[in-house]
Amino acid sequence: MKFFRSVGEVFGYSPFRSLAQHARMCGRAVGLLQHQFEALRLENYGEVEELRDEIDELEHHADQIKEEIRGNVTKSLMLPVDRHDLLEFLKVQDDIINNCEHVGHMVTFRRVKVPHDVWDEFSVLLSKLMEIVNHYEEMVESIRQLIDTSFSKREVERVMEYIPVIEQLEHECDLIQIGLHTRLFNLEEANPLDIQLMVTWVAHLGYVANAAARASDRFRIMILGR
Amino acid sequence: MVIDIFIISAAIVGFYVAWNIGANDAANSMATSYGSRALTLKQIIILASVLEFCGAAFFGKRVTHTVAKGIVPIELLDHHLVVFGALAALLSAGLWITIATYYHLPISTTHSIVGAMLGFGLAAVSQNHLSLGQIKWDVLAKVVLSWIVSPLMGAAIAFVVFMLIRVILLNRYASGSVEHVFRYLQVLTASYMAFAHGSNDVANATGPIAAIMGYSGEVPFWVLFFGGIGIAIGIATWGYRVIETVGKQITELTYTRGFSAEFATATTVLAASSLGMPISTTHTLVGSVIGVGFAGGLASVNLKIVQKIIFSWIVTLPVAAAMTISLYTLMVVFA
Repeated sequence: MKFFRSVGEVFGYSPFRSLAQHARMCGRAVGLLQHQFEALRLENYGEVEELRDEIDELEHHADQIKEEIRGNVTKSLMLPVDRHDLLEFLKVQDDIINNCEHVGHMVTFRRVKVPHDVWDEFSVLLSKLMEIVNHYEEMVESIRQLIDTSFSKREVERVMEYIPVIEQLEHECDLIQIGLHTRLFNLEEANPLDIQLMVTWVAHLGYVANAAARASDRFRIMILGR
Repeated sequence: MVIDIFIISAAIVGFYVAWNIGANDAANSMATSYGSRALTLKQIIILASVLEFCGAAFFGKRVTHTVAKGIVPIELLDHHLVVFGALAALLSAGLWITIATYYHLPISTTHSIVGAMLGFGLAAVSQNHLSLGQIKWDVLAKVVLSWIVSPLMGAAIAFVVFMLIRVILLNRYASGSVEHVFRYLQVLTASYMAFAHGSNDVANATGPIAAIMGYSGEVPFWVLFFGGIGIAIGIATWGYRVIETVGKQITELTYTRGFSAEFATATTVLAASSLGMPISTTHTLVGSVIGVGFAGGLASVNLKIVQKIIFSWIVTLPVAAAMTISLYTLMVVFA
């Protein structure tokens, strides 16, 4: 349609839907990791590799969304939040899925042999991570309500309540990691290379939790720093 | 009678300008109601056609007066020259609107017709029918000032209205129920907007026609009627497509935001109409939307459009004036 003039242009690119989509992808990536560790325990190595590729693809897609947001959030847009805060938040949120991708690869480096209770502990750690990202996703999704109510005090307070919960869960995650590390370093029978590799897994799973906690902190800065 | 041909041509071109105002400007004003889904397309077309017509026919007098003889003192000119000049002005405005629309420039019909009438005045000056001092520069200055003030006023009113909605309603009640109430209120502001738009923009078509009809003091009702019909037909035959297209781009505008922007725009435009100032409804609407954005009501506002509007503003005046001077000269030479 050629012959028309439009006021529509006054509405700029809105990054918030994409931000929430990116957050959902982070959640899905953790979900896939959880499946991957289940497959590891069952020694379903084919599935482990399939899941690695799936996480890879998801991370790639998330990167595209990140690029889309970065490419469109220009200075001439008037957003309800500070542009730098938003981009910084996105950067930290992206670390969640990046670290998922790292772990997804690291579990395929070598087939480790460990007692079943170690897998149980990994499963506990993954469940905790899942809990964190579920809260995290919900928090980021509420940006829609924040905008709809144009950041009403009540809504802001409600959304801010997610942050201490996420921080508490991240702390619990730390404790599980400490327990797991202690257990791993005391596996007398195991191959030292296996131990070395699993310690790296634990550390990187910790980074995932850490990124979610730091991202929710950046989220708070973005919302309160308007 | 050669002059009759000119008068008939002026009626046709005038109708085209009115049609274009309906098809594009009126449609843009109404698209806010479609974007927020406060009304269906059919309801909007009926509402807009009726109220644009009412605004034009019953409230379009003052602005028509300004366009017809506010800038160029047509009473000092031979009637033949007025016919040539006003026809040239209508033709250039119509042509320029069409070109700019094709390139999606956010130009204003109002700026085009004012530039064109000024061109007519300058052409008359160059042929020594008028002196430069006889062109009503003071009125022109007021009109130009109103072009700067109107988007700012739209922005200020929209800012205040939305801030009030925010503080009084959105902070206290669930956003869903607040929006629900404003869905109905937005029907009122949409009507208000259509009426205000008709009252101001009809003059872009009827001003020159009134001048051609030997306008002395009172705008004949049938001229406004003619303009109003042209706008209504424009909405019904082409405007609905524009409403649909633009409406899809502005889904960000919820009922409360749409209400604020429409109320601010309509109030500003109606105030301008009662002062006889021909202003751009579209630019005022853009200002109002930005005002809602400043009040924290929108996810994203593209401020680049301000640059674009200022640019098209600066281009429109000289282009419309130059085109009118050329067409007028051709008519004087060949007729």
